Amino acid sequence: MEREIKERIRYLLYPSSVAVIGASRNPKKIGFQVVYNLIKDGYKGRIYPINPNAKEILGLKCYPSILDVPDDVELAMIVVPASKVLDVLRESIKKGVKAVAIISSGFSEIGNKELEDAIVEMCRRNKVPLLGPNIVGVLNTDHNMNLSFCPHLPFKGRITFITQSGALAIGLIGWTWASRIGISKLVSIGNMAMLGFEELIEYLEEDRDTDAILLYMEGVKNGRIFAEVSRRVSKKKPIIAIKAGKSERGAKAAASHTGSLAGNVMLYETAFKYAGVVSADGLEDGFDKALALSLQPPLKGDNVVVVTNGGGAGVLSSDYAEAFGIPLKDIPTDLMETVKNLIPPFGSPKNPIDLTGNAYRDDYIRVLDAVLRHPWVDGVVSIYVHAAITDPVEIADGIAYVWKNHRDKPITVCMIGGREVLVANTWLRDNGIPVYPTPKRAMAAMAALREYGRFIERYGNEG
Amino acid sequence: MDEKGIREILDRAYKEGRKVLYEYEAKEVARLIGIPTPKNIFVKEFDSLDVENLDLKEPYVIKIVSPQVIHKSDVGGVVLNVSRENLKDEIRKMVEKVRSKVPNATVEGVLIEEMADKGVETIVGLVKDPQFGPVVMFGLGGIFVEVYRDVAFRLAPLDKDEALSMIKEVKAYKILKGYRGMPPSDIEAIADVIVKVGEFGYKFQEVNELDINPLMAYPDGVNALDVRIILGE
Repeated sequence: MEREIKERIRYLLYPSSVAVIGASRNPKKIGFQVVYNLIKDGYKGRIYPINPNAKEILGLKCYPSILDVPDDVELAMIVVPASKVLDVLRESIKKGVKAVAIISSGFSEIGNKELEDAIVEMCRRNKVPLLGPNIVGVLNTDHNMNLSFCPHLPFKGRITFITQSGALAIGLIGWTWASRIGISKLVSIGNMAMLGFEELIEYLEEDRDTDAILLYMEGVKNGRIFAEVSRRVSKKKPIIAIKAGKSERGAKAAASHTGSLAGNVMLYETAFKYAGVVSADGLEDGFDKALALSLQPPLKGDNVVVVTNGGGAGVLSSDYAEAFGIPLKDIPTDLMETVKNLIPPFGSPKNPIDLTGNAYRDDYIRVLDAVLRHPWVDGVVSIYVHAAITDPVEIADGIAYVWKNHRDKPITVCMIGGREVLVANTWLRDNGIPVYPTPKRAMAAMAALREYGRFIERYGNEG
Repeated sequence: MDEKGIREILDRAYKEGRKVLYEYEAKEVARLIGIPTPKNIFVKEFDSLDVENLDLKEPYVIKIVSPQVIHKSDVGGVVLNVSRENLKDEIRKMVEKVRSKVPNATVEGVLIEEMADKGVETIVGLVKDPQFGPVVMFGLGGIFVEVYRDVAFRLAPLDKDEALSMIKEVKAYKILKGYRGMPPSDIEAIADVIVKVGEFGYKFQEVNELDINPLMAYPDGVNALDVRIILGE
């Protein structure tokens, strides 16, 4: 990507002024929603609604053309019908905008490739980065910017989510609040006419507000460039991909074995492996893994210890540890002796360590501290199965308290209890600890931390 | 890797309008890449072959060389276990058989090869994907690839550690490690072949597909018994 264009991507994500071209007074129109959302969610920059037939929209002065705006404008957000896009784009470029985003649809997605090509050509010639067309918009929680027709901003955090599906973006915002999954930016990339995964990932390499990058992907523009860029960026921050469209392409008439076996899915998985991209199995798994990777350090070895208050959950976690490629091992004798003295005689000091249903906050603290402190241990999965006599919030607080002193080793938590553990879950996540409702998901998250850890071990120092 | 030598072979095929290299050419390319192949000779005028002075060890495998015949064994174009004594006879019979099955076949000659020992059959492949560029594949031959699709892929080029991780990734890896009293195969040598194939695919982007099937693996070394190379536009 050309350097000037790349540098200007920041005007798409952090503009200090936005012109909404096609702003509307009709609350049913997207042109209204975009202006409304900017104001409602507290965007701090300047907003210029553009509409030749209105004097004022939501209390903001409206301009007939972007050329009539008296001040500089950094970002043009275009919401007019496809047939008018080229005209308003020309004006925006004449105005000297630094970036353009197009919500309007009616381009290559319906076969109108020529118009899309013309738009890209105009932007490229003027070194203006173009997002879209056919997007829901850009949301940035660090900037309180809801430049989209999504009803509200996602829960604030440090994951940047790049999605090829706009509808999913809207749907998942509520989920980020319910599960307290922190999002820095949500970028809808639509038709990827100019900017796609490759360019945005490259930009995010240096973005200080992003700790992990989550992708919802149906396809990339150029697989090789995607793989090379992601491999470089993965060394600095984890990338998680939810790849949709896993059905195999039709049997290719290949003359070799290799050709006939190299299906689409296989190649994406291969590229992810090459690039250190953690592959997720669907939305839930994608968010689970992104949460762990955005909050926790990578798992630097294979020695995972499970600490549980319920035997069944411990056995399950042990099964999943094996299934996900990080089988539990016997813990060293000295650690076992230490643990033995901290738990009731009917507990188990072996891996998984069973604290029994009598375990309170202090029991979790003492055992977790002993385990995390031990040099052999690389990471911990802590499980709480709700019991009648214990308070999950106290347990959660104990876990958070211990981990504060051992932040170099990753922890994932499983809280079983549904409604009973909701407050405890919130407490954990707000303290930087990923928590899941089942042993399977807590272990899958730990395995993702290991997968990324292995990549960092091998390639992290290549710079 | 002898890039100049490889380039000459590819250019000759292009010049003759062939996208599929003859087996002896593909094997020559493999040798120039640095991959062991059975000792062989390509004979154009097989009627006047001097059998007595043939510098190859018995028994032989003979294979038809014809641009119209791609799947040689389907049309009787491969004969195994041929002795020096019967060599000329077997060649004549093979050529007749192929001509009867593929009447329009122009026979360029025959390939006479030293027959290799039995080992563990593996497959090393290369395919150029329009999205991802050159990609290498590894698997074990026969049902493992055809039925179970038990294969591993990597983007090329790749280093030896990565090639070793590919080999360990396939479920049939246990067979390579030695199974039911069979000795372990030379995994290092297989990994070397994978790395070289990847490097070749990366350097020669005009190559669309390459199959080494089988790459016979032994306790000490490997041997590429069949090599197929298909060029792009």
